[in-house]
Amino acid sequence: MGKKAIRLSAAARREENWGYLMIAPTIVGLIVLNLWPFIQTIYTSFCEHLGFGNYKFIGIGNYVEMFQNPEVWRATWNTILFCILTVPVGLFLSLLVAMLLNAKIRGKGLFRTIFFLPMVCAPAAVTMVWRWIFNSDYGILNQIFGTHINWITDSKFVMIACAIVAIWSNIGYDAVLLLAGLQNISKSYYEAAEIDGTSKVNQFLQITLPMVSPTLFVVMIMRLMSSVKVYDLIYMMVEDTNPALTSVQSLMYLFYRETFVAGSRGSGAAIVVWTVALIGIITVIQFIGQKKWVNYDV
Amino acid sequence: MKRVPRMLALLLAAALMLPLSGCGSSDGKTHLTFQIWDVGQRDGMQAMCDAYTANVNPDVVIEVQVTSWSEYWTKLEAAAESNTLPDLFWMHTDQILYYSEFGMLADVTDLFPYEEHYSEISINNAQGSDGRMYGVPKDKDNICLIYNREMFDAAGVAYPDDTWTWDDLEAASQAIYDATGNYGYMAYNDEQLGYHNFVYQNGGCILTEDKTKGGFDQEATREAVKYYVNLQSYDWCPDQAYFAETTPGTAFFSGKGAMFLEGSWNLLAQMSNYPDMVGKWDVAVLPAAPDPVSGDGRATISNGLTYATGARGKHLELALDVLKYFAGEEAQRIQGESGAAIPAYEGLEETWISAFDKFDYQLDLENAIMSQFDYCVQYVNNSARPKWKSGVVDIMTSIYNGSVDIETGLDNIQNLINTETAKKLADS
Amino acid sequence: MKPSSMQRTKQLTTFLTYLVLILGAIIMIFPFVWMILTSFKTQTESMQIPPVIFPAQWNLDNFVDAIASLPFVNMYVNTTLMILFRVICAVVFSSMAGYAFAKLNFRGKNILFGLILVQMSLPSQIFILPQYQMVAKLGMANTIFALVFPGIVSAFGTFFLRQTYMGIPTEIGEAACLDGCNQFETFVKVMFPLTGTSVAALTIFTAVFAYGDLMWPLVVNSDLNMMTLSSGLATLRGQFSTNFPVLMAGSLLAMLPMVILYMIFQRQFIEGIANTGGK
Repeated sequence: MGKKAIRLSAAARREENWGYLMIAPTIVGLIVLNLWPFIQTIYTSFCEHLGFGNYKFIGIGNYVEMFQNPEVWRATWNTILFCILTVPVGLFLSLLVAMLLNAKIRGKGLFRTIFFLPMVCAPAAVTMVWRWIFNSDYGILNQIFGTHINWITDSKFVMIACAIVAIWSNIGYDAVLLLAGLQNISKSYYEAAEIDGTSKVNQFLQITLPMVSPTLFVVMIMRLMSSVKVYDLIYMMVEDTNPALTSVQSLMYLFYRETFVAGSRGSGAAIVVWTVALIGIITVIQFIGQKKWVNYDV
Repeated sequence: MKRVPRMLALLLAAALMLPLSGCGSSDGKTHLTFQIWDVGQRDGMQAMCDAYTANVNPDVVIEVQVTSWSEYWTKLEAAAESNTLPDLFWMHTDQILYYSEFGMLADVTDLFPYEEHYSEISINNAQGSDGRMYGVPKDKDNICLIYNREMFDAAGVAYPDDTWTWDDLEAASQAIYDATGNYGYMAYNDEQLGYHNFVYQNGGCILTEDKTKGGFDQEATREAVKYYVNLQSYDWCPDQAYFAETTPGTAFFSGKGAMFLEGSWNLLAQMSNYPDMVGKWDVAVLPAAPDPVSGDGRATISNGLTYATGARGKHLELALDVLKYFAGEEAQRIQGESGAAIPAYEGLEETWISAFDKFDYQLDLENAIMSQFDYCVQYVNNSARPKWKSGVVDIMTSIYNGSVDIETGLDNIQNLINTETAKKLADS
Repeated sequence: MKPSSMQRTKQLTTFLTYLVLILGAIIMIFPFVWMILTSFKTQTESMQIPPVIFPAQWNLDNFVDAIASLPFVNMYVNTTLMILFRVICAVVFSSMAGYAFAKLNFRGKNILFGLILVQMSLPSQIFILPQYQMVAKLGMANTIFALVFPGIVSAFGTFFLRQTYMGIPTEIGEAACLDGCNQFETFVKVMFPLTGTSVAALTIFTAVFAYGDLMWPLVVNSDLNMMTLSSGLATLRGQFSTNFPVLMAGSLLAMLPMVILYMIFQRQFIEGIANTGGK
């Protein structure tokens, strides 16, 4: 390596300098804004926070405590449950919408516009109106169906309510991405299948799904990543005086409460490290798993 | 290709605009920032600051900034750590011991002869563990019972007064529920606006006199908390799930409930936020414990905020001068007249009441709020409070939702307070 | 018989397609309708059982209350400026870095690119405290700069534009610059202009996310006049707790400009976003 470096031609050296120069703003920015704080977070996870940025090194104490804390396991499960509820269901519905929009119908543009609308609305506003719709006593949802379900405050329903809002918010976005993928599929495949007399279901399984799988994979990864890190949505839907909080509290919500409300930054940092580790595991599984179902040949 | 230079021009414009949008102190005056958390008091605070500029030091301009309560402490602690505290800011009893212990707050003991004009509780609320003053007393408050007159009339029940006990509260609630179908007293899971008042009325305590131990092992305390929690089992009281979606204030002002506990600091805002309701409600003293373990059964929690400045601020001298002004009669009077809060300065209480003159209906503030200062209890605090506060709230939540039975829950609270307090005492 | 049965199936399919789409559209649009209806009701009216669908009087009090508590004009301006600068930064810096990662050779390229991927998997909440301290130390809290700060560089943008540049054949750049211009000139004059669609996509993506960003503006800018629409809404909630008619009115006011923009440019919006899916 060293020798090679020395023997770089003048042109290659110039190219290298340009390379460094052009990535400099981004890399410096990332190091200062993100990487360094993350390294500090890892260090903090081995410390007790005494107050105002004074730390005492305590080794793995926070981790021992964390894994003994049922609240952490509960939050981990809640996070996974949130992913299970939002990702497959969300993707299924988005794909359905995308396929319907891809059919020969009138008013395609109008439908697309409507489904995409939540994307341009601030989540702060969106969660507010959903809380109002879900309100158990005066909310329109219970009133329409004549039920009295405590959507937001019953531990059995609160996760479903949050998942509904998440899916509702993202369905248009995902559908638009998938629609772009669907539109890239050449019509000739379907025409050939039609001649062979392949059923619609088989057409879907044999043509549509494999052809759209790369887009589906990208959308799934994006959705999964943001679901594991979910915080804003739950924070705005469920306040910390809510009796059902523990049934919906995600890992990042727990991090927020530990760090900012209780002031134990050490335990908060340990939760972050645990979350990032989970993200890593999920990513690896995804990339191994994709070989089985994502079709890159087309 | 023509796009690129345009892009660069835009970027240049951006670079030019950034400093412009920054702090423009081009007028030769010193600009100080003043951080508070209550939007409702912004105008009152700004009026005080403007008066300082007009009457004391024309070269200083103070800008009031508001961060909501949930972000306030996150932000203030981060600022304290990086030595970028605002020049002036509000301090709360929950936090003053923690901040002063780490030397974050400037000592303001010698700024003003506090004993002459401020009550002992006000002074206590401003002191660090070492007995020095780390804040200038701002206001004082207490908790009162607020009730819907129309619902009492409809049920034919006499309005609450100082003869009321918890039993009357229950009876009235039942009567109102029967007559109107609306909720009676709305027992909300809250400390200051909830069970703490009941605990002290019953002769119990949250912390012992020397503040080294919790009071949750005392019968009086346990009895009161149990009583309070059990209120939600009555038909006339909504459960905590209800309050998570509809605060007692919202329920009250939309005519869904007849009574709840409210802090004096909110009354003015409630009068102006709900003009249609003016005249339909009033305030009363808190009902007394019918048979307290000790004492006469009367109590209300009283707290007071303070004005503070950082110990190592860039404009420390100026900030101290402003604080001195804030401690004086003039500033306290402006605060009172704006209706922001009851001035901590003794003898200026009436200025706050005068802020209500503009309404057609006069609340019974004299009897409900002012008389309660005679037997009010200081808001609970010790230096470990930030460490156990959120834990206690969590346990109370689990008592309410039934995941922990009340006896165990109370024991857990007691343990938590004792452990964290002992840890803190051992550290210092 | 056969063709008519096929016709029938086809009609049925079309019917079902419309049915599902219309039902879906109703679910998607209902919260907005409810928001509008609630914003004109009085609080008592909004809490009636059985519910009142239309307000008895279309009163504007809630809007007046919301406008009285928040400086909406400032919030619109601040939000616009924040989005503008974040977009400019994301486009300029990410284009440069994306091009370098795709087309130039330099040592440590893979490690440095790995950094970008790592950043994308980190939860952004952990940066709030350290980034706030940086802004405070620079004396820049309560400025537009503070709002833009975390968005100065964009890991996603870099990743996304690198993919775009990878898709452009290197020869195009070489052919166009036979007269020996340097790498930067090739980038500026030849390559960057070819990435229009992707830049548009990144612009929309950045704008939408900057607009929704809540925690950061809430912490860094406490001057009411320096708030964004999102943080202003959170403040409104702090003030009016569960008084939903006022909150709905505030939400409507906050959403309106973006929704109008979206209605005008919806094709560009949607197609721009469709391009962020890659491939």
